[in-house]
Amino acid sequence: MPSQMFQPKIIAFVCNWCAYGAADLAGVSRMQYPPNVRLIRVMCSATISTHHILKAFQEGADGILVSG
Amino acid sequence: MDVDKCIACGLCAEKCPKNVDDLYNEKIVKRKAIYVPYSQAVPLKYCIDANQCIYLTQEKCGACEKFCPAGAINFQDTEKKLSLQVGAIILATGFDSFDPSPLDHYGYATCDDVVTSLEFERILSATGPYQGHLLRPSSKRLKKDAGRSPGKIAWLQCVGSRDINRCEHSYCSSVCCMYAVKQAVMAKDHSTGPLDCTIFYMDMRTQGKDFDRYYEKAKRKGVQFVNSRIHTISRAIDSDDLLLRYVSEAGEMQEETFDMVVLSTGLVINAKTIDLAQRLGVTLNPQNFAQSSCFSPVSTSVGGIYACGVLTGPKDIPQSVMEASAAACAATVKLAPVRGSLARHEEIAEERNVLRQEARIGVFVCNCGTNIGGFIRVPEVADYAKTLAGVVYVEENLFTCSQDTQDKLSQIIREQNLNRVVIAACTPRTHEGLFQQTLTNAGLNKYLVEMANIRNHDSWVHSHDPDQATQKAKDLVRMAVAKVRLSTPLTQTGLAVSQTALVIGGGIAGMTSALTLARQGYPVHLVEKSPVLGGMARHLNHTWQGESIPAHLEQMVSDILAEERVYVHLAARLTHVEGFVGNFKTQIADATSSEVIEHGVAILATGANESRPDEYLYGEHDRVVTHLEMDALLRTNDHRLHNAANIVFIQCVGSRDERRPYCSKVCCTHTIKSALDLKRQNPDVNIFVLYRDIRTYGQRESLYLEARQKGIIFSRYQVENKPQVRRDGQYAEVLFYDSILDRNISVSADFLCLASAIEANHDDTLGQLFKVPADGDGWLLEAHQKLRPVEFATEGVFLCGMAHYPKPIEESISQALAATSRALTVLTSDQIMVGGIVSRIDANLCSGCHGCINVCPYGAITYNPEANVAEINAALCKGCGACAAACPSEAVVLMGFSNQQLYAEIKMALCS
Amino acid sequence: MITTEQKGKLQGAVMVVGGGIAGMQAALDIADSGFYVYLVERSPAIGGVMAQLDKTFPTNDCSM
Repeated sequence: MPSQMFQPKIIAFVCNWCAYGAADLAGVSRMQYPPNVRLIRVMCSATISTHHILKAFQEGADGILVSG
Repeated sequence: MDVDKCIACGLCAEKCPKNVDDLYNEKIVKRKAIYVPYSQAVPLKYCIDANQCIYLTQEKCGACEKFCPAGAINFQDTEKKLSLQVGAIILATGFDSFDPSPLDHYGYATCDDVVTSLEFERILSATGPYQGHLLRPSSKRLKKDAGRSPGKIAWLQCVGSRDINRCEHSYCSSVCCMYAVKQAVMAKDHSTGPLDCTIFYMDMRTQGKDFDRYYEKAKRKGVQFVNSRIHTISRAIDSDDLLLRYVSEAGEMQEETFDMVVLSTGLVINAKTIDLAQRLGVTLNPQNFAQSSCFSPVSTSVGGIYACGVLTGPKDIPQSVMEASAAACAATVKLAPVRGSLARHEEIAEERNVLRQEARIGVFVCNCGTNIGGFIRVPEVADYAKTLAGVVYVEENLFTCSQDTQDKLSQIIREQNLNRVVIAACTPRTHEGLFQQTLTNAGLNKYLVEMANIRNHDSWVHSHDPDQATQKAKDLVRMAVAKVRLSTPLTQTGLAVSQTALVIGGGIAGMTSALTLARQGYPVHLVEKSPVLGGMARHLNHTWQGESIPAHLEQMVSDILAEERVYVHLAARLTHVEGFVGNFKTQIADATSSEVIEHGVAILATGANESRPDEYLYGEHDRVVTHLEMDALLRTNDHRLHNAANIVFIQCVGSRDERRPYCSKVCCTHTIKSALDLKRQNPDVNIFVLYRDIRTYGQRESLYLEARQKGIIFSRYQVENKPQVRRDGQYAEVLFYDSILDRNISVSADFLCLASAIEANHDDTLGQLFKVPADGDGWLLEAHQKLRPVEFATEGVFLCGMAHYPKPIEESISQALAATSRALTVLTSDQIMVGGIVSRIDANLCSGCHGCINVCPYGAITYNPEANVAEINAALCKGCGACAAACPSEAVVLMGFSNQQLYAEIKMALCS
Repeated sequence: MITTEQKGKLQGAVMVVGGGIAGMQAALDIADSGFYVYLVERSPAIGGVMAQLDKTFPTNDCSM
């Protein structure tokens, strides 16, 4: 991939009980995906408020995924 | 295979040269001779298929042993025999799916597109042979074939069930109707193009809770249902298309072409189980199910040996889960005196105080053999970790999870005086517990460890890009270090458990629970609103197997009265409940007095009622009766039954309609049982059963077979063309259309028995007292329909019997034993641990806005009006953190996941 | 077969034969109420037939 290409920074807030497990399984199955995402584990997606989302944008995130 | 050494890296399977059929995927695809049964297998360890392994069969190869980085493979390992001393045995041996290969008229062995339901289940699954794409097997003969989607699928019900001509299985397998409906709905969802789904059935048996709704929804989604049993499947001469010929409901011969046919294969007890039962002396019935009484549904013919699941008869998952808990309870009644004698207690090291200490973080980076080290430059990550604030010690490990590394870790924590730990390795979902234990052993609070998942979320998914993977690993380590720096020790405190139970409802279910709890050694308060014990069972005659209900009831009531640990409260009700699991306080009142009792658990067994029909002249004509009224006539040997010429039963009176869109489950069996009794008393009587679907599920099918053999006439009616009833003097004239004869029929009935619906009590007083929900039909709503069938989301409160859904006595009893079993898991603990990852409210910041109270799904937060603040009951909090998100003043903190920690993670994730 | 009842000496352990959904639930309940459990399964992983199912009715939940 050429380095000048736009590389988005993505933050994913994932629920420990489902989405985090799904990401684990993607690993077990060796599914390849772009390395632009950083996962933050939470105990339930309900604990994610607008504060967290705004904070992530403020710190420079280009996209945010809340999954649970 | 040494499972303690195997790290599930998969190198062995990669190197293994032998391809064999994958049994997990029903042989549709291949796997290696060394394999993990499926991707979520527990334990997640590789194993060798000894019948296929080249080394074990021909003493050649041995590639896996050579390549295994953990030295987990040992070909010299041999089978060992163990001798164990146990107080009881539970058989939960399950079933095999019926093998349709011998039935050549279905062409299963010769047509690729004729599959069994279990094969279809794998085809639909994302972890299945086609990765969840719905494809015709004939179009995927080779792995490289692109595959084609089917446009038309047929399901054939009762393959290997309800069939005494082509196999010897007279029983109904109970689950196939429902799974076929589900598969048809799922197939439509999965399909990219339009998909026609047709289910060919004899009777749709969707008798379980919410199943009829699902069936009706499937009809609305366009799934076709055809009431016909297909005799033969033939393949088109020039293609893989499949031809079905059948007689339509209108009586016409039809021929239709399908792309795929799914055989809804029944449940069969396999030869290994039959052999085991024989060796144990456990009696199996002619259909190979364990013989049991309706009153002790999980006991076998041998004392001390219990059975559950499909071994005791065909059943679905919730029923199996219920029976499993029931067997657990029944098996331990006699072992109650030695409870805890073999339980292990661990010594806990004294915890070091780390408060107000500067962070001293240790980072341990795992290579996981080559799973991480093969893709990520681990030394670079380790060097990077040394530069992070607070990190004082960094180490690389080949396998951080191995036992010797745990001992070493513990030693390093002490020597280096570490007060926080980061493990950069695999997933906390499988390994956090292990590392927490290591911290505990090292005298550190277990919440001071954080894992960076650089394997599942990094090396395994970015294996083509070592640079990016290494960068991501550094980021993940940086995030974990930042988070753990802000971690505080969390404590759990024990709350004593009141080891007394409260059972509400004195019917069969409630009495079973109360008696069993007492026999397990715990005092029980049994509250019944009426002045007598027995509930609905007082109006019933026999179980479906013919056992006398009055005799059993009498025995049970006298056992209850003789049992000194059971306190019976008759004509009593609950007026107030407070507290939570382990610590409830409940006020019980009768006409003259009231008392407050303390109890650790509550079991709701409040039953249901037979509804009063408002059609078919019920209440207007004295010969029109309900099931319970017919039972009373039979019990008193009413002379009018002896002289009767015609007796008619009408099914689904008030069930499966708009008002009550559910099946009452017990009526079909009840009708046939009563009809057989009537025929026995008076062999000359003509009996007509007017039905929609006969739902004698499981082994009850034998009653239906017997009834037809005895000449009882069954006629199917459509809901839009119900039977009509007219007064004809002392008789009731019943008019109905018979589709087989294609004509209208009139019967002058001496008695018309209405199979009236079972109805919920629709009294939500208890629901409000215990804060537990009911569904739209008034049935108590369990925590999870499949996996937690006797529990509520509110801990410490359980349900059983007809309050949950209509069910026959044997199911009420097994559910009552199951609720008792679940209740025992609370009662047998000296204390419940409270705390850890739970929310806390800073009273100084709380404005008392109720925001958190409104979002808490567990009712764990209450408002304290005196202080104008919300307060959390840690015993009820499950640590979801919804309250923390709702709080506008950030007064609520989810311990271990504080906003400060999340903000630190966000910042660290984005700062590179 | 000699059961404890006949022998008169009680053992605080129970054997569960079969590691499908029923066997697993029975084992958990027994262990959680103070007894030692031996869970015996023929195949290399627990889970039984339920692990092969795609979704379960009526909630359409994933079986895993």
